[in-house]
Parts: sequence; structure tokens; C-alpha cells
Amino acid sequence: MTFEQLLQYIFSGLTSGSIYALTALGFTLIYNATGLINFAQGELVMLGGLSAVGLYQAGLPLPVAFLGSLTIVLIVTVLFQQLAIRPLLSRGVLAQVIATVGASLALRTAAMMIFGREALPLPAFSGDTPIRIFGASLNPQTLWVVGSTLLIVLALQLFYRRTLTGKAVRACAVNPLAARLMGVSYSNVVLLSFAVSGAISAAAGVMITPISFMTYSSGALLGLKGFAAAALGGLGNPVGAVVGGVALGILEGLGVGLVSSGYKDAIAFVILLLVLFLRPQGIFGGKAVEQE
Amino acid sequence: MSALLSLKGVRAGYGSIEVLHGLDLGVQAGEIVSIIGVNGSGKSTLLQAVSGVVPLRGGCIELEGERLDTTGVEGIVRRGVVQIPEGRQLFGPLTVEENLELGGYSRRGRRGRHAGGDGRARVGSGPAGAAARLDQVYALFPRLAERRRQAAATLSGGEQQMLALGRALMAEPRLLLLDEPSMGLAPLIVRDIFRVLRELNQQGLTLLLVEQDARTALNLAHRGLVMERGRIVLEDRAEVLLASPDVQSIYFGQGGGRHGRGTRPAGQGGGSA
Ligand SMILES: Nc1ncnc2c1ncn2[C@@H]1O[C@H](COP(=O)(O)OP(=O)(O)O)[C@@H](O)[C@H]1O
Ligand SMILES: [Mg+2]
Repeated sequence: MTFEQLLQYIFSGLTSGSIYALTALGFTLIYNATGLINFAQGELVMLGGLSAVGLYQAGLPLPVAFLGSLTIVLIVTVLFQQLAIRPLLSRGVLAQVIATVGASLALRTAAMMIFGREALPLPAFSGDTPIRIFGASLNPQTLWVVGSTLLIVLALQLFYRRTLTGKAVRACAVNPLAARLMGVSYSNVVLLSFAVSGAISAAAGVMITPISFMTYSSGALLGLKGFAAAALGGLGNPVGAVVGGVALGILEGLGVGLVSSGYKDAIAFVILLLVLFLRPQGIFGGKAVEQE
Repeated sequence: MSALLSLKGVRAGYGSIEVLHGLDLGVQAGEIVSIIGVNGSGKSTLLQAVSGVVPLRGGCIELEGERLDTTGVEGIVRRGVVQIPEGRQLFGPLTVEENLELGGYSRRGRRGRHAGGDGRARVGSGPAGAAARLDQVYALFPRLAERRRQAAATLSGGEQQMLALGRALMAEPRLLLLDEPSMGLAPLIVRDIFRVLRELNQQGLTLLLVEQDARTALNLAHRGLVMERGRIVLEDRAEVLLASPDVQSIYFGQGGGRHGRGTRPAGQGGGSA
């Protein structure tokens, strides 16, 4: 493999890695607030991509379609939390997890009925002319994806580290009862976590659609890879989620270069299994995946 | 004068078990009331009922004659009834300062304070008020100021109890509920913490604490109540209870052993001062 090829695989790995990172963050936010693994997380990414396609095809400018898609997914996520998760709060985590499985099927079916079975495209945010870097060609969309991911991660960090509301969310993840005794509304924290999780998942979906298209069925694989990334970084650890996502993307990219593109998707499964067997708390030590 | 806090016929429990069977209790403003009782007698449940965490199945709870039990957990904190739960329940991975800031969560964005007639100096709310309150807590516990950037979980047991107390003070309580504040702490540290509690009380803060360690709790209190299986069975001035042979035989000497500090036979007077 030449240096240019290596660079090429890393670029492509960074792109999908950013998407996995955002999806993993989506898992992490909900997991931290509620202890739930949201099996519909990948479907939120899919819904983000397809909603943007729908709005764009309806004639809205791309940036408006982007924001519109975030809003739609945010509303869907909040409704799901209010109508399906909230009534099940007293029934324990298993009932809620099953509700998320149900939601993933419902979203997939709805998307198929609305958008059909075709893989739908979206134009790149700023053209397709590749940028040459050290002999490798860099798709401008990659810059958008990586840049926006960095911005989102930074904004989330600021929110969770610097604002009192953000600190209250972290406090709830550690000890919901103590947080309530300080006057923090746990149900508002859960709602906020679902909303933010939905919005960043939608952003991931919109950004990846110009590169790899989107169909109603894309959610399953995206969700699985996001989960693998979250588990790799340590479930419940937001920094771990980002590093895990990028690491998974780059490993995939290199795997495609070194082995064969046929095995690309298998890499995530292999990593997930290795993590579960060897280090269930992930690289950065979140909560052990097997605990829940 | 009506009581600051009053419980009337309070019944509460979990699932099919009823823990509190019609409990009556009054706490006057400015008082320190200690409730003693063995493990499982329902002391924590009582405080959780006052804080709104455990819903009532009967009876009512009032703060200065106004219903408290219909207010919800957050509303109860905002009205100045603040609990330090059993085992302190700090936010371990968060820093000392973040723990304190969260303690003031209920006071954010609120101008002035609940109408409290207890005469303590008020420093207002909002970000400026929060900063002033933080300074007050750091002045009270300089050790916390030195460790402000440290994760709460890395503090010693005594420092953690200071942090739990500081965090509760950030909410500007008028009534502080303490669930076993001496649990797991060395006697010297308990003495320090209880000295601070007494000072806070002298500045006007009303305290309701529940303890298994009867001697320590009654030494601090003005008034003591003995709780057994969800009922108050005895109530008197603290020094009367301290001197009562019944209380001595049942409750003294347990506290030490239970907390793993080595048994101390009743009557040796080691802990009373
Ligand atoms: N969350 C709970 N669910 C069910 N039962 C509980 C719960 N908490 C306490 N209990 C029961 O209620 C009774 C009183 O407990 P508690 O109020 O914790 O007593 P104390 O604080 O005096 O030790 C005990 O029998 C205990 O087992
Ligand atoms: Mg207890």
C-alpha cells in the first residue's frame, strides 16, 4: 500500500468514523440519562438523512432542509420519549428497551412507505471537486462531516462542562435521586437527553447521505456501528464514544485497504465481539456493557 | 405559634409494605430535632416522605401551615426543605465545585428567597448569589476550597460529609433534613461536623436529623424522638432521653458497634461530652 493509498483510506475512515462517533454519542446521551440502549438510534440517523432528502426534493435549499430534518427527528424523538418511554418508566429498563425495538421497526416501516425502497441521494454540501492532499484526493464533504462533528462535540462539551443545566444532566447520570433532591427535574433531563440525541443523530444522517446515500433500511447497520463505537470507547463515556467512533472508522478504512472491501462491515462486528469478550468496560472504562 | 414542619397521620411505604403507620411529628423553627431508631425502623422513609420522594398514602405534611406533600420533589427543595441523604450521595466523578454548584440548582434564576422569617443573612440568587454562597461555603469549609477542582469521589470520608453539607447549604435551606450524618465517620470527624451543625442552628437553621447513633444525635438535639417500626414511641427533651434508662439500655452502645468503630459499652461515657 502506498502512502497516498494509506492517506486515502484514512480520509474515508475519518468520514465514516465521524458518523459513527455522532451515532455513538447519541447512544451515550440516552444511556447516561436512563440506562437504556436505544435500539432505534440507527433509525434516527436514517430518518435524519431521508427527511433532508424529502425536504430538499420539495424545493427547500439544502441548509434549510438540513435544519428542517434536525427539527423533524428531534420532534419524533421527543414524542417517542413522552408517549412510549415515559409511561414505561416504572416497568423497568427491559420494557423500555423493547419499546425502542418497536420504535425502530415502526420508523423503518414508516420511512419505507414515505420514501420508498430506493437509495436516495443528497448533493454534497459544497460540490464534488476533490481536493488533492499529498497525492490523495479528499472529498469536500469529508471536511464538512469532520468539521461539523468537531463542532458538535465541542458544543456538547461546553454544554456539559460549563452550564449548570449540563452539569445537572451529568449529575443525573451519576445519581438521579441525589440530583432530584437538589431540585433537578429528572424527567426534564431525560427529555433533553432524548432531544439532543435525536438532533445529533439526524445531523449524522444528513451529512453522510451525500457520500453513501440513504434508504429506509440503512438504520440497522448505522446503529450497530454506532453501538460498536460506543462499546469500544466505554459505554456511557462521551469522549470514549467519539474516540471509539473515529477508531472504528479508521480501522474499517484500513481494513478495506489491507484486506478487502467485502469485509468492511464485518470489522465492526468483530470489534464489538472482541470488546464484549475482552474488555466490556471499553478502552476508556465506561460502565461494563454486560451490566445492563 | 404553628410549627415550621408538621406531619399529621403520615402513612407511606413501598409496594405492598407500609412502613410509616400514621406518623405525627412537629418541628419548631430554630429547633434541632433528632429521631433515633434501629436500622429498618423507617427513619429514611420518613425523610424521603418529607422530601416528596416517597409518596404519602395518607395524612399530610405542612410547612408553616401550607401543604408540602403536594408540591413535588423539586418544589419542596425550592421551598427550603433540603435533605442530605443517607450515605451522602455525592456526584463522585464531578468536581467539588460542581457538586456545590448543583446544590444551588433550586435557587437559580430566582430573585430573592422564599419568605423565611428566620432572620439569616440572605445573599440572593442567580449567578451572583451563587458565587457569594459558594464563598460562604468555602469560608465554612476551607478544605473544600483547596480541593475545588478535585473529583468528589477522591475526598476522605470527613471531607465528603463536609461537601454533602456544603452542597445542601447552597440551596439556602430553612429546614435541613439529615439522614445518618455520622454514619461511617471517625468520632473526631463526627464531632467537627456536629459542631458546624450547632453553629448553623445558632444562625437560625432548623435541623431534623435521624440517626442510629443515639448518643451523638441526642447530644446535639434540643428534642429527641424514638421511632420503632414506623411509629414515634417516645418523645422528650434530648437531655431527658439521654438520661432515660430505657433509652440507654436499648440504644446506647449500639451506635458504635453498628458503625464498625468498635463496641463501646454503655455507661462508660467515652462519647458523651
Ligand atoms: N426502596 C425500598 N423498597 C422497599 N422497601 C424498602 C425500601 N426502602 C426501605 N424499605 C423497607 O422499609 C423499612 C424501613 O426502611 P428505612 O426507612 O430505610 O429504615 P431506616 O432508615 O430506619 O433504617 C425497612 O423494612 C426496609 O426494608
Ligand atoms: Mg436509613
